[in-house]
Amino acid sequence: MNKHIRTTLAGLLTSTMITGAALAAGTHPETGEALADDQTFTYRILDEHSSVDPQVVEDVSGAEIVRDLFEGLMNQDEDGNLVPGVATEFTTNDTKDVYTFTLRDDAKWSNGDPVTAGDFVFAWKRAVDPALSSPYAWFMELMSIENAAEIIAGDKPVDELGVTAIDDHTLEVKLSAPLPYFAQMTTHSTTFPAPQKVIEEFGDAWTKPENIVSNGAYVLTEHLPQERSVRERNEMYWDNDNTIVDKVVALVINDENVALTRYLAGELDRTEVPAGQFPRLQKEHPEEAISFPRLCNYYYTFNLSDGGPEAFKDPNVRQALSLAVDRKIITENIMAGGQPQAYTFAPEATAGFTVPEVEMASMSQQERDELAKELLAAAGYGPDNPLSFEMVYNTSEAHKKVAVALSQMWKQKLGVNAELANMEWKIFLEERGNQNFDLARGAWCGDYNEASTFLDLLQSDSGYNDGKYNNAKVDELLAQAKTSDDAAPLYTEVERIIAQETPVIPIYHYAGVYMMDSDVGNWPVNNVEQNWYSKNLYKIAE
Amino acid sequence: MLAYIVRRLLIAVPTILLLIVASFFLMHFAPGGPFTSERPLPPAVLANIEARYGLDQPLWKQLWDYLYNIVVHFDFGPSFKFKDRDVNDIIAQGFPISLTYGSLSFLVATSVGVSLGIAAAIKHNSWIDYFAVGLGIAAQALPNFIMGPILILTFTLWLGWLPGGGWNGGQWPYLIMPVIALATSYMGSIARITRSSMLEVLNSNFIRTARAKGLPTRTVIWRHALKPTLLPVVSYLGPVFVYVLTGSVFVDIYFSTGGLGQAYVGSALSRDYAVLLGVTILYGVLTVLVNLLTDLAYAWFDPKIRY
Amino acid sequence: MLGKSQKAAHLAEDITDYTVIQGRSLWQDARMRFVRNKAAMASLFILGLIVLFTLIGPYFAVWNNEEIDWNVMGDVRGMGMPSVETGHFFGVDDLGRDLYSRVIQATTTSLLVGLIGAATALIVGTCYGIAAGYIGGRTDGIMMRFVDILLAIPATLVIILLLVVAGRSFFMLFIALGAVGWLTMARIVRGQTLTLKNREFIEAARAAGVSEFTIMYRHILPNLLGVVIVYASLLVPEMILTESFISFLGLGISEPYTSLGRLIAEGAGTMGYGTLWQLMFPLTFYVAIIITMFFIGDGLRDALDPKDR
Repeated sequence: MNKHIRTTLAGLLTSTMITGAALAAGTHPETGEALADDQTFTYRILDEHSSVDPQVVEDVSGAEIVRDLFEGLMNQDEDGNLVPGVATEFTTNDTKDVYTFTLRDDAKWSNGDPVTAGDFVFAWKRAVDPALSSPYAWFMELMSIENAAEIIAGDKPVDELGVTAIDDHTLEVKLSAPLPYFAQMTTHSTTFPAPQKVIEEFGDAWTKPENIVSNGAYVLTEHLPQERSVRERNEMYWDNDNTIVDKVVALVINDENVALTRYLAGELDRTEVPAGQFPRLQKEHPEEAISFPRLCNYYYTFNLSDGGPEAFKDPNVRQALSLAVDRKIITENIMAGGQPQAYTFAPEATAGFTVPEVEMASMSQQERDELAKELLAAAGYGPDNPLSFEMVYNTSEAHKKVAVALSQMWKQKLGVNAELANMEWKIFLEERGNQNFDLARGAWCGDYNEASTFLDLLQSDSGYNDGKYNNAKVDELLAQAKTSDDAAPLYTEVERIIAQETPVIPIYHYAGVYMMDSDVGNWPVNNVEQNWYSKNLYKIAE
Repeated sequence: MLAYIVRRLLIAVPTILLLIVASFFLMHFAPGGPFTSERPLPPAVLANIEARYGLDQPLWKQLWDYLYNIVVHFDFGPSFKFKDRDVNDIIAQGFPISLTYGSLSFLVATSVGVSLGIAAAIKHNSWIDYFAVGLGIAAQALPNFIMGPILILTFTLWLGWLPGGGWNGGQWPYLIMPVIALATSYMGSIARITRSSMLEVLNSNFIRTARAKGLPTRTVIWRHALKPTLLPVVSYLGPVFVYVLTGSVFVDIYFSTGGLGQAYVGSALSRDYAVLLGVTILYGVLTVLVNLLTDLAYAWFDPKIRY
Repeated sequence: MLGKSQKAAHLAEDITDYTVIQGRSLWQDARMRFVRNKAAMASLFILGLIVLFTLIGPYFAVWNNEEIDWNVMGDVRGMGMPSVETGHFFGVDDLGRDLYSRVIQATTTSLLVGLIGAATALIVGTCYGIAAGYIGGRTDGIMMRFVDILLAIPATLVIILLLVVAGRSFFMLFIALGAVGWLTMARIVRGQTLTLKNREFIEAARAAGVSEFTIMYRHILPNLLGVVIVYASLLVPEMILTESFISFLGLGISEPYTSLGRLIAEGAGTMGYGTLWQLMFPLTFYVAIIITMFFIGDGLRDALDPKDR
């Protein structure tokens, strides 16, 4: 059996070596490290991606593939800084509501056609077109492109979108409001170009490997749904000479423990570490177990709507519950993957965000517990009148562990009865969205690297505000931040109010916890959004 | 007999129709829709999506359009979750995979299970019996979610003999673990039912009479005992056959085989309406056909059964 | 030759069966024979021990089933193994909770789930199957097509809807388990009934003017029990495992309560991480239950077989 697999593998190796012979076997041009002959990067994804159509894709693993297949105006580097993509530069007017991008003239589609400004115009109109009904159409609205909102609502024709191709290499975008970070948003997959001719020829089937034409460093060569997708070097890509990895394979493995086993068996270069396994793996494989901060938070939200429990209307009760949560235990003993403890809603890793001095963060856990008892007693709850409520979370091993630990902390320290209820994902969302809960789990990953992507969740009219927290001052500060040149102090102030009123219990902030083969070079651990590009990776010879 | 088969096939049409209608309404009454997500879509965007998939129409209209497209175009609709593919694609891709490892597992489970069961019954209270009983219990004691990790740990990580998952067009190194995992879960039950059924038949008076008349044991078993023994086994195998043919969600999850089992459970959880209905219809058609076959098998096993 | 011998066999069977039915009480007889079956009695004894353990075990527990041992939770692999010293006789689970108490609680739950679930499926499936098979004709056709439909309807949706309509409760769990379990049972029973109803002894009973209901109850049912009981004993482990899926959807048992199915699934997930006791203890109890079910089922089958005396 063994031999059989080896021969198949050898066959695969030879075929990839022929295509990428130019750069494989050699040394890295900058670091001088010896490069492996086989430049294939294989990683695990949890679930089948939703699509590889840039305007349609809506999940993280799909966006990762799309970032390799297509290239937008701008890219991010290893640290998340903006670097040129198809556009070499951009200019903006003084009021920051007109952006002009200059496109490089050597950018090509994988069929040899040049990438033009028209391809972007086509793609962006496509993104807002009600006929395509992109689930990410709202992103174009968020980018404040002129008439985007009206087109999505069906009030204006698609052609009135504020984007024009001045010539083949000049793209002009008009915004409905000034937006200082507009260029950053062009690294998002929804804004990537789309090949008009191919889409018109094949319709919805254009993304199949046999039909697809793309302008990124890779082309899709194989897609076996629920099993794997393969992308290989695009010879037409303008920067093909500097691309090192020849082939990228994404394997769908639903079970994280199986994925880890297969990683240890050498079938994968990257996989996620199951909660709690990091310390052991780090000891056994110090070179391979890595952890770095991510732009996501994990919290529990109180139901503060009129239908919510009476007890939670009292800020003292909410604060007491938050205080009694020993975040150290959760981050070090349960998740154990280097997750930072959370006392604020937005993660510290967020760009331009200063974590305010929250009182709770500087107390010892013992002091917190003492204060929690006092607050709860002051609110009228005690041994003869115990506080009881139900806490809901969606079914998952890790969520279960956190929920159980929380309920035990509250029970042992405060005598609170928190009844646990797990639910299947869609039921959970439905119940939470309809304020059909007392206390519910929540988590949020930033859409862009700015604190408002988190704090907007607590705005009273936000569609994401499932706890229905309503504070006029917070709303006002967040509205101010939208137009302010220096929003950081405003965000800090919002966090201070949240810490006082405790509409949510922040638990921890996410970390990317991976097993990453030590021969994978240049993984962007400092990119908190984890926007990674296979073209920047390389495989080191062992 | 032919008239009976034709009649049954004709009844199958309203049966499947009822199944579709029932599943359709169940599905739409279940909380959460295909586009319920952690970040609720803005109303305008959601309206566009619903309009595109016809979800803004009244339910009866949606059902009507759905049936119309199946009958006229043999089109089972688009997937709401996997936007690059439609239901026809998903079934065309997943069903052959499930069919391959499913029918292989079924063959293994049935042949081993029935042989063990018969051997155990004939040599009642002998070592063969104990072995069969032990194996049956062991197979039941190791449900899929233990078998999956054990197989992968053993053959992939420790021995390095087999790839830990994937399908690769069904090459045999990729087939072994799924087939073993799926087959063991039924083998035990099949052996158990065969054994007890055989014991019962061997105890019955007509077999005793046959033996008393001096017929050799072999003849008694093959000529007289086998058919009535298999009758309850066939009843049990019917639903198992359908289930196994449409794949197992555990196998698909542990071995990334990409079969229909995963698509079926996954579509129910993600409320991917068209995929769920499509697979349900396939499941229903197979159920109806297999149950017709079992009924025909009854008549063959016991000529006295008339319909 | 063949035709003749079969005829003789049927004739002989006809006579003996007929006299038996008029004779001693089936149940008295069955009890006697069951008591004589050593394997079955031993299994019953072991099952009794398991039940006894779930009753008195908690008095020896140092930790209850939900308490987290905060000292151990960070290093379950190094400090959480079974030990009398720490009071964790079966070790701790991944969260630092005492597995001894959890296994006791899980065994209670799973035994109830398995037995009640299988009993529900047995009663509903048997009644339905006998009725369909015995009445036959168009009624049989309609009843069986109904089973076909139910077999094909996605169980996940049915369970989700049950949860939404009736809410989470232990009782709904049994309803859900019974709802998925009885279908195959009904098909098996109906198949057996089809062959039984053509036997001479049934025809004789009918000729003697015995009512249809009495025939089903007195003559068909006893002859079915063997197969039915064996299948029911197979259903017990299946129910125990199905419960964990139903609980995944949110209907059924919620933390901190647990079941054998769930403990085994958790243990299986972490089997490669050096905490094997998390799998072995619940698995041992599960296997013990399967084995006892096997022999008790076998013993009952032998005891209730009306031909076997």
